[in-house]
Amino acid sequence: MMKQLLEIGLLVGGWSLVALCVGSFWIPKVLKWREKLAGLTPLMRELWWTYSIYVLSSHVFFAVLALGFGDWLMSGSRAALAMCTFMLLWWSVRLWLQFFGFDFDEIEDTTANRLAKGLLTMLFLGLVSLYAGLVCWNVGRIGVAEV
Amino acid sequence: MEMVFRGAGLVLTGLVVANFFAAKRWRYAENLETVEPIVRQVFNVHCAYIVAIMAGLAMLCLGWPELLLEGRMSRVLCGFFGLFWGSRVVVQLTYYDSEMRRRNRGWDLFFLAVFLGLAVVFTLGSFV
Repeated sequence: MMKQLLEIGLLVGGWSLVALCVGSFWIPKVLKWREKLAGLTPLMRELWWTYSIYVLSSHVFFAVLALGFGDWLMSGSRAALAMCTFMLLWWSVRLWLQFFGFDFDEIEDTTANRLAKGLLTMLFLGLVSLYAGLVCWNVGRIGVAEV
Repeated sequence: MEMVFRGAGLVLTGLVVANFFAAKRWRYAENLETVEPIVRQVFNVHCAYIVAIMAGLAMLCLGWPELLLEGRMSRVLCGFFGLFWGSRVVVQLTYYDSEMRRRNRGWDLFFLAVFLGLAVVFTLGSFV
């Protein structure tokens, strides 16, 4: 039962990450990053875009893991546990930032932006729950991992 | 290959530390004072996440290099980091301001060599 639940979670989580990666291409336009970054020095602008793209590529990799290597993420191996723990920390921090880290006051208060914020919060909550479940699975606290 | 990964782990630890010096040298905080808080926050968050990736990989390489040599998944992970560091070489050569690189030629070549070395190590790891 728990195994099936986690498998479904990986499928939903993986496709949600795909949606996040695709949606990320609209974020710079919606939030007018190009204009807002105009005041920075060229080096800072370059760093800004470089970091953003590397974070996006990490999300792509996480989506590939969830959709293509679910069996491995549930294998109970030390490597799977390490990877699930890393992703749990990653999304937990992102969830915390969503509530306490970012100052959303400057973002235009439109229905679309409110909806996007709500969806993102739900996604981060879901991913935290999923990876917490996978960590518990891999340490044998729920179900029995096949080593 | 485990020893090579441990060496890469040391290099990655150096990169993590270097990020803190870079923030001071390039005056990130001062430069970001002129932009809106959300832009500043996104920069800091992305920077922290990149450092977290490097620190996580450094821990893996130094503490459990054998995990990078076990099975299909380790090859996928190594392949990802081979691309990660390989693309960083391309970014350095094609995207970063050439005038800035010329003025800091020593560091430019040093970091290019570091990124290239890491790209080679992890790409090789993906074929072992």
